[in-house]
Amino acid sequence: MPDLIALQIELPSSNLPWLFAAFAVSWAVFFLYVIYVTRRQQEMQNQIRQLRRAMEQQETPEGD
Amino acid sequence: MAGTEEIQQPTSEIAFQSKFRWSDMIRVDGRINLRGCLLLVTGILMLVNLYMIFMVAPTDAVLGHVQRIFYFHVPLAIVSFVAFLAVFIASIAYVFRRETKWDNLAHASAEIGVVFITLALVTGMIWAKPVWNAWWLWTPRLTTTLILWLIYVAYLMIRSYAPSPSKAAIYGAAMGIIGFADVVVVYFSVQWWPGIHPTPVVGPLADTGSLDGTMRSVLLFSMLTFLALLTYLIMERMALQDTVDQLRGIRFSLRRAARQDAIPGD
Repeated sequence: MPDLIALQIELPSSNLPWLFAAFAVSWAVFFLYVIYVTRRQQEMQNQIRQLRRAMEQQETPEGD
Repeated sequence: MAGTEEIQQPTSEIAFQSKFRWSDMIRVDGRINLRGCLLLVTGILMLVNLYMIFMVAPTDAVLGHVQRIFYFHVPLAIVSFVAFLAVFIASIAYVFRRETKWDNLAHASAEIGVVFITLALVTGMIWAKPVWNAWWLWTPRLTTTLILWLIYVAYLMIRSYAPSPSKAAIYGAAMGIIGFADVVVVYFSVQWWPGIHPTPVVGPLADTGSLDGTMRSVLLFSMLTFLALLTYLIMERMALQDTVDQLRGIRFSLRRAARQDAIPGD
């Protein structure tokens, strides 16, 4: 019984770095993934706007 | 030169337009922003989830604080199975209907499923090191999960190496349907080949009373939170795919226009 109590007292603090590592990795991966998707989305939308403008300019007669 | 200046001018305008505004999270152009609202709800759920994991859930008597990894590890694994189920259903729908929306759903779900299953494997390894004194053991559950990860990474690679979007869709659909079989194998692996890996605590294979009441509530809340995150990420990824398709369409019409201009007599 004293062994079990010692284990209960010792283990919770001794394995905290593992807990921190697991949560930190998960959060970091989620944030990086969301940033990757959002940035790609913005880049693509900018490209679409630029291409649309270029198309509009092509369609406009040169004399105008 | 004047033309170049005209094209460059709006770029700064775009940068100005893309400035972040908190109000856009709820409403854009008078319409409710579903993705923004879902992101907000998921963020709140995540904060509440963290509070419940660290403040409400009791500390495990034997494993100590490291057992709290379980509230991330199990939902990540279960939600990745949900993502692969979505790939399976959307792939079947694509095979029968040949509608792009189903292919986009399958592609988005597979990519996010891979993110979730990767994290489930990594958090499992971090849990295993202090508990089993090993990062990895070739147990049936771990081995079949690694195979599952490889199947869906292969799914994404096949799609990106396919010669055309339509071929990518059909190759992906075939792989998405066949690959789902391993999800069933992973779930039942602890029953078919019992080993060192803990048995399921939720679902049809779970033993009654295998988990403390508070722990079960926190685990179920965590699953709900990760389901909300999965839904948000799938919607965000599908929106990106829509933009990619739009860009491809514009480029195609530009190339066609250029080719028509090049044909003499037209």
